[in-house]
Amino acid sequence: MAKVYTGRDGILQLSGTTLAKVVNFTLQANLETLETTTLGDSLRSYTPGVLGYSGSASLLYYKDDAGNINTTNLLNKLIKTGTGGVSSSETADLTLRWVDGTDQNDIRLTAYITSANIGASTGEITRAEISFVGTGALTTATIS
Amino acid sequence: MAFPTHKPTGRTFDAGDYTYKTFKAQSGKEVRILYGDKRTGMQLQLVYENVNDTAADDFVAHYDEVKGGFNTFVLPSAFRSGWNGNASAIDAATGNLWRYQSAPSITSVRPGISSVTVNLIGVL
Repeated sequence: MAKVYTGRDGILQLSGTTLAKVVNFTLQANLETLETTTLGDSLRSYTPGVLGYSGSASLLYYKDDAGNINTTNLLNKLIKTGTGGVSSSETADLTLRWVDGTDQNDIRLTAYITSANIGASTGEITRAEISFVGTGALTTATIS
Repeated sequence: MAFPTHKPTGRTFDAGDYTYKTFKAQSGKEVRILYGDKRTGMQLQLVYENVNDTAADDFVAHYDEVKGGFNTFVLPSAFRSGWNGNASAIDAATGNLWRYQSAPSITSVRPGISSVTVNLIGVL
């Protein structure tokens, strides 16, 4: 059946577990292009370079009935104690999903969280904003 | 093997000069003595960006063939690609041939793709 997807159909998962209170998420695929135009050419030409993925997500800062906060496992990739910084194993297994009944359209990738932003503002709901960049190939790409 | 016929993506030409010597008197008067009637020492830099590695290695093969900077050679017309002026204006002047001024420089850009820079000098 024909369907237009909306925000109601969107799900963001971390390591296969759906995150609560996700406001939005985006993913961008970027292909680097290397110019191969030579002297005398009138039109530019290119050869494909490296393909990469990046994106962002915004979540309400939310504590459930059990006392668990939905953003913990994302924010703690960057916001943490210790002097070790971020190790190469501290990746996030993210799944961006668009659901239509039992039909799931997924993009799954391994990513590093590159920025985490949280604050508090009078009269506003607290949100956590994260940005990420994918490392390696997509694990799943079933959106087409 | 002749110099590769790939079209460059960048080219810089320096016209060189005639051979002469300058003498300057204490008064400031300058005297110049011309030692030759041919312009020489022209310099040419050719850049080939984002070419296949198989094209990049052509330059090393040619560099080997002419024994590096030892032997001279002529350039194919492809090096003038995009130049609409007099062909001889950016080539080795009369009586000159090209030789390598330095070894071809290859920068790997990504797997299978490289950029090459070649520096040549015209000599009599």
